[in-house]
Amino acid sequence: MTAQPTTLPAEDLSTTPAIELRKLGHSYGDTAVLHDIDLVIEPGEIFGFLGHNGAGKTTAVNILTTLLTPTSGSAEVCGADVVTDRAGVTAAIGYLPADVRMYPHLTARENVEFFATLSGLADPAGATAETFEYLDCGDLADKRVGLFSTGMRQRVGIAQAIVHRPRVLFLDEPTSGLDPSGVRQLRETIIDLNATHGMTVFMNTHLLSEVAKVCTSIGVLDHGELIYHDTIEATTARFPNETSLEDIYVRMERTPS
Amino acid sequence: MITTIAVQQVRGLMRQRVFVVLLVTMLAMTALAGVLGWSSHHTIVGVYDEAVKLLASRGLPAPPNPFLLKPTLSLLSNMVVYIPLIGSLLAVVLGHLSVVDDEANGIGRLIFSRRLTRTQYIVGKMCGAAVVLAFVLAASLLVSWLSLIIVNRSLPAGADLGRLAAFYTLSWLYLMVFALIGMVTVLATRRRSLALLSAMGAWLVITFAVPQITSGLRPTQSLNPIVDPAGTSQAFFRYTSNIRPYSLVEQYKAVSGTILRTAATEPTGDTVRHIAPLVAAVVALVVAVVVLVQRHDYSRGSSNE
Repeated sequence: MTAQPTTLPAEDLSTTPAIELRKLGHSYGDTAVLHDIDLVIEPGEIFGFLGHNGAGKTTAVNILTTLLTPTSGSAEVCGADVVTDRAGVTAAIGYLPADVRMYPHLTARENVEFFATLSGLADPAGATAETFEYLDCGDLADKRVGLFSTGMRQRVGIAQAIVHRPRVLFLDEPTSGLDPSGVRQLRETIIDLNATHGMTVFMNTHLLSEVAKVCTSIGVLDHGELIYHDTIEATTARFPNETSLEDIYVRMERTPS
Repeated sequence: MITTIAVQQVRGLMRQRVFVVLLVTMLAMTALAGVLGWSSHHTIVGVYDEAVKLLASRGLPAPPNPFLLKPTLSLLSNMVVYIPLIGSLLAVVLGHLSVVDDEANGIGRLIFSRRLTRTQYIVGKMCGAAVVLAFVLAASLLVSWLSLIIVNRSLPAGADLGRLAAFYTLSWLYLMVFALIGMVTVLATRRRSLALLSAMGAWLVITFAVPQITSGLRPTQSLNPIVDPAGTSQAFFRYTSNIRPYSLVEQYKAVSGTILRTAATEPTGDTVRHIAPLVAAVVALVVAVVVLVQRHDYSRGSSNE
């Protein structure tokens, strides 16, 4: 695969946090869904964002992908502020939302090419072909997305998210609806993107087993508050009596650190 | 970026059933207008021929053929009724789908996580809808032209082609009002069904309610491009007559009548005065669409239903 240039110079990767939240808060009217979140994710991490339904994980991703404006605090992606430097943020990120459907009347290739063009790539067709080859889903390229299963759609969704080789990849519940082989394939793709392209991955998920296999660090969100953030190694060391990440997660929810 | 969105919009819309329905309906309406024009022509000429024979048998001189006095494009006068009635309804659906699909499929989240401003996005969407409508009306113009050739058995004059093109350009402007209404209602509401219902409500008001009250409840004025307002001394009707200059259907019919020569020729200033509300409506709706899209919440997966 050919790496595409992004707006920030390469040396910034090593010095600037991939994601930095400072006292980030968000409210929908009178309902506060995020409270003063401080979080730093370094470049090259695969970060698992855990939390129960309604904890505020998707709201956080919506803010980091510039879809929502935070009501308090600030957030930066690769040094670009999500409010004041939207262009800088969107140049650096790829995003795969939960339940992505894409344009059903267009083929997978047309869909991904469209997003490649929106990302400002000089050769969207070439980047799209390379991405399909990388994901080994060239067989889907010329079929209409409206006919796809959840798993097939998810692969096209991944393709649009990485076609411009972003520095930070946001995945919102990426395994929902996937069968076991689809989950494994996605896991391998995430690990390879991180290892080969140095992509930082921010993943909202419920699947703790996946977090244990893929992530290098985790954060736990409970009712809009970040109650835990550490590496996987530090987490298992901190809770030596728990046999699985699931047990640790349940315990964290009961007794925030 | 605007071109990318517009091209995608055209490609997406043209593969949807609604586009096929729009195209087929418009072409069928155009062909029907031609057939009705031909039928009317055939009947009147038949009666005329019989009258000429009768008059000749009595040794009386025959009057001139009434069709020789009628403008060529009068054969298509029914289009002035079909476009406000059916074309505008289809334009509402087209405008609605242009915007609602991105929300329903959750694609708005993907689009706005890219280097694209909301203004670029919506301008691209409007351009896409405008191109699709222009394509449909261009096909309709072609059918009209063929109808005229078949009915008259000769090529219409170049000036008539110019008038036909002017009529379809006016129709495009008129239909854009409704396509933009379809977009505005999606961006202004959170529910897709409510958005479509609101757009249909606007279509009903513009197409039926306003002309009814401004034309003094004369049903023939809804069916034919008659420009004269109802004469009345009642205060209510005097008041509602003041709304008439803003009745888009009536302005459209008035200008169409002038272009197709089915109504009395009016001074250029009057024609400009009739077109001005249509242009003003398009401009106002474009501004509304651009303002509303800035505030629209694209962070949700799909609109609430």
